[in-house]
Amino acid sequence: MSKFRVVHYINQFFAQIGGEEKADIPPEKREGAVGPGLAFNKAFGDEAEVVSTIVCGDSWFNENLEEAKNTILDMIREEKPDIFIAGPAFNAGRYGVACGSITEAVKTELGIPAVTGMYIENPGADMFREKVYIIETKNSAADMRKAAPKMAKLALKLAKGEEVGASAEDDYIPNGIRKNFFEKKRGSQRAVDMLLAKINGKPYTTEYPMPDFDRVDPQPAIKDLSKVTIALVTSGGIVPKGNPDHIESSSATKFGEYDITGVDDLTADGYETAHGGYDPVYANEDADRVVPVDVMREFEREGVIGKLHNKFYSTTGNGTAVASSKKFAEEIAKRLIADEVDAVLLTST
Amino acid sequence: MSKKAYIVVTNNPLVKEQLDETVGVCYFSEDSHRDLLERVRDFVHKGYRILTHPLAGSVKPWETPYRSVMITAKREEKTDLFSLEMIEQAIFALEKSKARPVTLNEKVLADFQIVDFSLIQSALPSAEAHGQH
Amino acid sequence: MKLELGYIDIKGIRFDDYNAIEDGVLVVDPDELVKPVLEDELIKSAHFEIATPGESIRITPVKDVIEPRVKVEGPGEIFPGMIAKVDTVGSGRTHVMRGMAVVTAGPIVGFQEGIIDMTGPGADYTPFSQLHNLVLVMEMEDSGASAHEYEKAARMAGLATAVRVGELARELEPDEIEVFETPTIAQSYSDELKDLPRVAYVMMLQSQGLLHDTYVYGVDVKRTLTTMLSATEVMDGAIVSGNCVSACDKNTTYHHLNNPVIQDLFKQHGKTLNFVGTIITNENVYLADKLRSSDWTAKLAGFLSLDAAIVSQEGFGNPDTDLILNCKKLEAQGIKTVIITDEYAGQDGKSQSLADADPAADAVVTGGNANQPIVLPPMDCVIGTLDYVDKIAGGHDGSLRPDGSIEAELQVITGATNEMGFNRLSAR
Repeated sequence: MSKFRVVHYINQFFAQIGGEEKADIPPEKREGAVGPGLAFNKAFGDEAEVVSTIVCGDSWFNENLEEAKNTILDMIREEKPDIFIAGPAFNAGRYGVACGSITEAVKTELGIPAVTGMYIENPGADMFREKVYIIETKNSAADMRKAAPKMAKLALKLAKGEEVGASAEDDYIPNGIRKNFFEKKRGSQRAVDMLLAKINGKPYTTEYPMPDFDRVDPQPAIKDLSKVTIALVTSGGIVPKGNPDHIESSSATKFGEYDITGVDDLTADGYETAHGGYDPVYANEDADRVVPVDVMREFEREGVIGKLHNKFYSTTGNGTAVASSKKFAEEIAKRLIADEVDAVLLTST
Repeated sequence: MSKKAYIVVTNNPLVKEQLDETVGVCYFSEDSHRDLLERVRDFVHKGYRILTHPLAGSVKPWETPYRSVMITAKREEKTDLFSLEMIEQAIFALEKSKARPVTLNEKVLADFQIVDFSLIQSALPSAEAHGQH
Repeated sequence: MKLELGYIDIKGIRFDDYNAIEDGVLVVDPDELVKPVLEDELIKSAHFEIATPGESIRITPVKDVIEPRVKVEGPGEIFPGMIAKVDTVGSGRTHVMRGMAVVTAGPIVGFQEGIIDMTGPGADYTPFSQLHNLVLVMEMEDSGASAHEYEKAARMAGLATAVRVGELARELEPDEIEVFETPTIAQSYSDELKDLPRVAYVMMLQSQGLLHDTYVYGVDVKRTLTTMLSATEVMDGAIVSGNCVSACDKNTTYHHLNNPVIQDLFKQHGKTLNFVGTIITNENVYLADKLRSSDWTAKLAGFLSLDAAIVSQEGFGNPDTDLILNCKKLEAQGIKTVIITDEYAGQDGKSQSLADADPAADAVVTGGNANQPIVLPPMDCVIGTLDYVDKIAGGHDGSLRPDGSIEAELQVITGATNEMGFNRLSAR
């Protein structure tokens, strides 16, 4: 049997072109293995061989994402590889993101078995762990000797169409899919071992990490409302009539910012809801029911609150991914802080 | 309706038949398992607290069409967050396991009624003994 | 308490017209052994069958699995409060018929569950495929008795049969002897032990009503407060299963008798840790009971001045709440805790595994994803009936294919994802 053809992606540093000062070089293709590719060739043995190496600067990749992807995909396509590997990126953030992006593109667009590798805390790990196989490495290139065989082993499995084992068996970063396998020891013995490690302050790995709890402690209560500026933010989808930003009725990918300077009341002529998850009749009749501008204006006049912020923010919470919601909130919070808003009234439907 | 401090919300005719006279029962014959849990959630939103765990013991939630949940008879001012979390988790658990049809002949239905009744019955001595619900 | 277990290795079972153990082979007279079972008027018919590891046999629906034991020295008899009079067991000497089990099979309700395959892919997932099984197949009288009464009749028949079989081992010389000794509080501060971390085992027992019950010395566990016992009492049958649901993660009586957490803690006792006690707590339906029971778990753990604990769960769904409450309250006292559970992550493995969760549960051992699909090929022989396979937990419409193979989830297999950590199966 002939060897599997492998294309390898690395950055400018591992190609020994240079460090940060060379991070802006565009993609180029070299024949055969370069740098870490030698370690891969060793790991692949008789089964596969790096036929070509693509080198790209980390800055160039991340600043020209679409162009970079397309150029590199073309370079890979020409080689007709059986396997694609990227990195490993260890703890290098932009390199990790580049490895994740290109591995995902190769997997989905070219349908070629693709594997990358990085340190668990590399930002690329969180971004791509559910999309591609990422072999878990240590945080420095000193781990190359161990990382390359793991990546090679998994890549060969994929190329041969063999079943991939659980993350703990095949050394990839858990990808959110729970997979059964037989451990070497029975559960009770593993529990005792884990307990002893926990007691003695030694490292151990839980077999089932609890889902992420992103709980936020409430801020201390506001003592004097009459001095504060309050903004209205909603996931109830209230938008100016016609939904100018085209906020989706469900699974929103964006939020809107709307100026209400001089607006006393959200009337049926001016506002409506974009939300597809509840009966819109009452919100369309009077959008203040979701974003209470009218009452807030009253409070403003009576001096109950200092000021109503002159912009409100809106998205639809209906089926919207937690990750998107987080992203929206981060951006909205930034703008509110810049506008010196003291407090937010968050309304939901 | 009885004057007990608790009532049972159910779609199980056996629970209705067995407990209606001694314990208050809110019976919704048309409810699916899911409908019933959502109904309980509505009660929670209105200020009732749940007193029994809304997930069936270890009967797979997608198998049995019957569910009975005990809640406080008296409505309180505030929504109880513990109850809310519990009922939301139960709905989530039911949701993730949907779309697995099970054969339900009369004998199986009758047995599911018995098990659901047995689960809620097991809570009665605790509810009775309890001063503070 | 000090208990010696004398293991008599059983290498086979055969039927004859007398009862004995000959050269490690159990010989039973099935007609004689079945007589007392049939005295219960709720049991319409009953008979015995033999299932040997590797044979093309499927046993279903399995109710309980029980290891025959006999008490040869010390107070009490096996299964106190159930079969024997109430008396504190757990000391002296007990003979164990290792390598075999009495398996009870027969429907109690129409969605009865539990499959033991003696060969093929299913056999890898159940520990009972490795045993010589004496299967008691029962059919219940259609007498209008309640499901509770049928469950009790089947439970008692199995336990009583195991005791009668166990009696045959009374006079034999064990192949191996193992000694277990639990310390008193004072002994746990002896010179050899006082510097080791104080560890207890918290055993959660299902206790939610029909098909979900567990008995300790004959007491229905849902009517108890969290309490303590000596780990050796468990080896003498202080805890028995009255549980028929969730085949994969219920604790059969066999699991209780051979509790692996207890065994593995004993192995480390006096070396790396100080195994100071066993706490048993229930999994009730009533929420205040859950709160109280977990409070008591934490309180007893405090009385024992624990440094660490292992908590094992039984069942899934509603008991996930008890598990997390126990873990949270132990950790809140600074007691380092490991929990053992299993998962319901969906057939694709993508759903959230537990119905409850908390960041305090940072050390979890899993018995695997019970939703994993599995195809069980047809077997030459079915002990029991396949009538219920379509309805067993984890089965679904069309589970039983025309060729006799079964398309289902791991859930249908007795003991597959046991939460005492009995198996090697895990998930990531």
